[in-house]
Amino acid sequence: MGFFLPIRNWVLQTLTFLPVSTKQNFTAVYRRFTSTTLCRWAESIDSKAFHPEMKIKDSSMMKKKTGKNRFPPKPFSAFAAGSSKMRAICNTNNAVANDSPSPLNIVSPPDTPLSAKEWEKLKEEYQHFKKFENVMFESMITNHSPVDVAKSLLVAIAKRDGDIEYNYLVMYLAICVFHKDIEEIYDIYNIMKAKYKSLEASAYSLLIKGLRDSPHWKETLVLLEKVKKVSFHSKQNYGDCIEGALLHQERNLAFELFHEMVAENLTPALTTIKLFFDFCQPVKDDHLKNKCTDILYYLRNHQIYPDESLMLSIKQWFESIPGENWKGNLTSMNNSGQCPSCGHFLEDINLSEEEYINVKEKIKRDVIEGTDVFRNTSPQELESFQRFMNEHPPFDVVIDGLNVAKTTLRNPSSKTLLDVVFYLAQKYHRLLVLGRRHMLKHSFQWKKSDMDAMQKKADFFFTDNMSKDDPFLLYATFHSGGHCMIVTRDLLRDHKAVLSDSVTRRLFFKWQRGHQMVVSSYVPGKILTFEDALPYDTIVQTDGNTWHIPYDDNLSNRASFEIPVKWLCLQKK
Amino acid sequence: MHLLNLIRPSFKLIAPKITKYGLFLTMPSKISTCGTLRMIYLNKNISKNADNIDLDEWKLVVLSGLEKEAFEKASPEEEPNIAAIKEYIDMSRRLGKAAPENITEEQLKRLIEYPSVSSRNRYLAFLASKEMRKNAEKEKKKKQQEERDALRKTIDNEELIPKSRLFRAIWESSMDVVYNWKAAQAMSFGQPLVFDMDFNDMSEREMQNTVNQMMECEGANRKAVEPFHLYYCNLKEDGPYHKEFLKRYGDTWDNLFVTVTEKSYVELFPRDQIVYLTADSPNVMETFDHNKIYIIGCLVDKSIRKGVSLARAKRLNLATAQLPLERYFHWKTGAKVLTLDQMIMILITLKNTGNWKEALEFVPKRKHQGFLDPSLQHFIHRQKNRKISQQNFKKKLLVEELSKKRLWNGLWEE
Repeated sequence: MGFFLPIRNWVLQTLTFLPVSTKQNFTAVYRRFTSTTLCRWAESIDSKAFHPEMKIKDSSMMKKKTGKNRFPPKPFSAFAAGSSKMRAICNTNNAVANDSPSPLNIVSPPDTPLSAKEWEKLKEEYQHFKKFENVMFESMITNHSPVDVAKSLLVAIAKRDGDIEYNYLVMYLAICVFHKDIEEIYDIYNIMKAKYKSLEASAYSLLIKGLRDSPHWKETLVLLEKVKKVSFHSKQNYGDCIEGALLHQERNLAFELFHEMVAENLTPALTTIKLFFDFCQPVKDDHLKNKCTDILYYLRNHQIYPDESLMLSIKQWFESIPGENWKGNLTSMNNSGQCPSCGHFLEDINLSEEEYINVKEKIKRDVIEGTDVFRNTSPQELESFQRFMNEHPPFDVVIDGLNVAKTTLRNPSSKTLLDVVFYLAQKYHRLLVLGRRHMLKHSFQWKKSDMDAMQKKADFFFTDNMSKDDPFLLYATFHSGGHCMIVTRDLLRDHKAVLSDSVTRRLFFKWQRGHQMVVSSYVPGKILTFEDALPYDTIVQTDGNTWHIPYDDNLSNRASFEIPVKWLCLQKK
Repeated sequence: MHLLNLIRPSFKLIAPKITKYGLFLTMPSKISTCGTLRMIYLNKNISKNADNIDLDEWKLVVLSGLEKEAFEKASPEEEPNIAAIKEYIDMSRRLGKAAPENITEEQLKRLIEYPSVSSRNRYLAFLASKEMRKNAEKEKKKKQQEERDALRKTIDNEELIPKSRLFRAIWESSMDVVYNWKAAQAMSFGQPLVFDMDFNDMSEREMQNTVNQMMECEGANRKAVEPFHLYYCNLKEDGPYHKEFLKRYGDTWDNLFVTVTEKSYVELFPRDQIVYLTADSPNVMETFDHNKIYIIGCLVDKSIRKGVSLARAKRLNLATAQLPLERYFHWKTGAKVLTLDQMIMILITLKNTGNWKEALEFVPKRKHQGFLDPSLQHFIHRQKNRKISQQNFKKKLLVEELSKKRLWNGLWEE
């Protein structure tokens, strides 16, 4: 049984998943290869080009979603996956995509092998291409022509020139890799080895990809070392080597490669991680189990969220552990931070004492002072602000006055701010509003009476008109302590970006999710609601008997500053 | 290097097509729309004799070609690492990537220092384009020389030029005398224009670009009707600027009609006369004041750092100003930061004519959609407002459609 499981699984994999994934990988590798050779053509192939169909599909999907239940299952929509895209749709009018037909589609390669003479004839017909062979190979790659056709073109070239140029060899190799013609790949490998002392990156990665599931898979490790000599490793190369090792049941080697890759600061692709969970499924010993859970801890430490297919693999892997009887459920969390399926409370979002102090120091150093204090503020102003903060006891809420005031354009700014301040004053004791000095000058937007009324309810600090107010906002919140909340609709991405190391950046984002309140809807005089901060942390987490893993579903495009909203809940019974 | 030189000609012998097609990436000029149809027709004809093609023939051909060059591959004299990288560059060039044919030791060393694939590729592409330009220029010069020779021959034959003339031909050197005279005059009576050179954290490329622009500035100033008196302030002896200047100017550096000083502009001029020009300034320059001393920050920053020169002016408590670009242009794209030579041309024109429209002609055309008509400014402002309100209305409808509970106003970040 133990022997049959992996094979069955492997077959399943090849049947269901691999064709899709290889196609994607293949085009990715090839795109890297074309983007430099044919910049102009690569543009039109680019997958990021905006497709109008996709948008229609997306928006109709969203309509359906909102139609079903009026309150979308989003606990916190400022950082929830896909919300920035939704905002973007609101902001932009319909952009028209210009998908001009790619010139590659004009030449379609023949279906059967041609003789050298026939190729000559064809070449004469397409005289306007100066590099006919190049164009033909390119179109073969995009059209996935059979290997024999490409081979016949190669024969024709060889007959004419007596030799084959390197670029034709590489393009032929790309076709062979796509069709998994292992013998041919190995032949090309030998020829390349005999002919050239070293190759360049795209040929190496194609060879590694081609050889990984052949009996010669150990050569991929040699190739990997060779790449290192002249260029840098890519996660793709490592991923292919790992796949080769796993396909040939060399799990320890695969784990070694994984650790090597991580040590070189490469973030493994999600498909690579998925391979581990797929191939290590009948967990026989604790050693293997620990190694796989180590990968989960790696995901946790680097705040990587699995996608849907990886999540399913993880779920399957857990459920296949003999004797432990894991049960996996897909859920989404509610605002309280209690998992609806198992009732466990998720990890608290508050930073630990040490982390808090660390982030506070870094913010002061990088965000406020930076390379030059004068860029954001001036030393006098900073000093007077520090004095102000020390004179006042800690605040409960710090409000970004200008940001909040511009929530709606229908109201004078001061009126909006007044509403927000009065609303918050009911719940919290000590408010601080940060603003700029121009707010004090009476105008249509800033009414003197409103400002006076507000100053009874909250403390104010006005920075110079030329200074930036956001750094002060952060400093004030951090200075007040862990309970203090921040009210702004700004995503604070620019301040996150200037933090010097990625660990602090992650901690800052965690703090931000836990402490930022956003005005979600405001109709003057009627509605004022806040999106409250999340009480729980969105991260891969465990307490021994349960695992909670947030994941990205295939439909929402999550931006880098957002977090997934769906969870996998695993429970030992 | 020797190795490559040996191998390359051999390849050219074997595959002469490399040189023919190696450099061109061409789009098809005529698109034959019935290509597929023709292909199908072809295929029908061919399928009869498809079986008798030997498909593995190419391997034999390639392997037979291999033995001839085997002896040329011997004796690598350089370090294995450097040789491998040279080989790598050669291979990527054969693949059609942008990479130079010849690379010097110094360039190789810098290439190795780059920390990622993309930065290396970028550097290689830069070197390749440099090489290409150099070759093209050489060819062009050769052609011009030939043309000139031909012309001279015909002139000599026909003797078209009259023998007596009022003036001797005015050569560039005699123009130089005039320019230098004017520049010298400006040195004693002209209005100062200060370049602040206290930006030392620039990369090498940025520094080269800056000095390039500075040379253009100096040239443009010399040719003006009434030149400025240029000050290069904060220029450290043997600093990166000084080195780059010496490299580019050579001996001329000592003969420039420019005041070069290590002192700051604050020490040289009274503070209340100084105006620091920076695009980040909140104040807009209304008119050109002939009594003020304008300062231009000598900085090219490709990694966009905002507010660097404004911070400097704030520290020294100086007045600042920005050009009224918003007021005069429909701005299209690009940063409002202009290059140094554009700045000095604008200032020179302002100084001599006082006409903003004429001066702002030097702002690159790609950045704006033309001048604003001052009489229409009010109208355009209103139009813009109307557009914004229309957009907001559309947005509102969309948002309400998306979710009746939530409201986005589209103004997420201030």
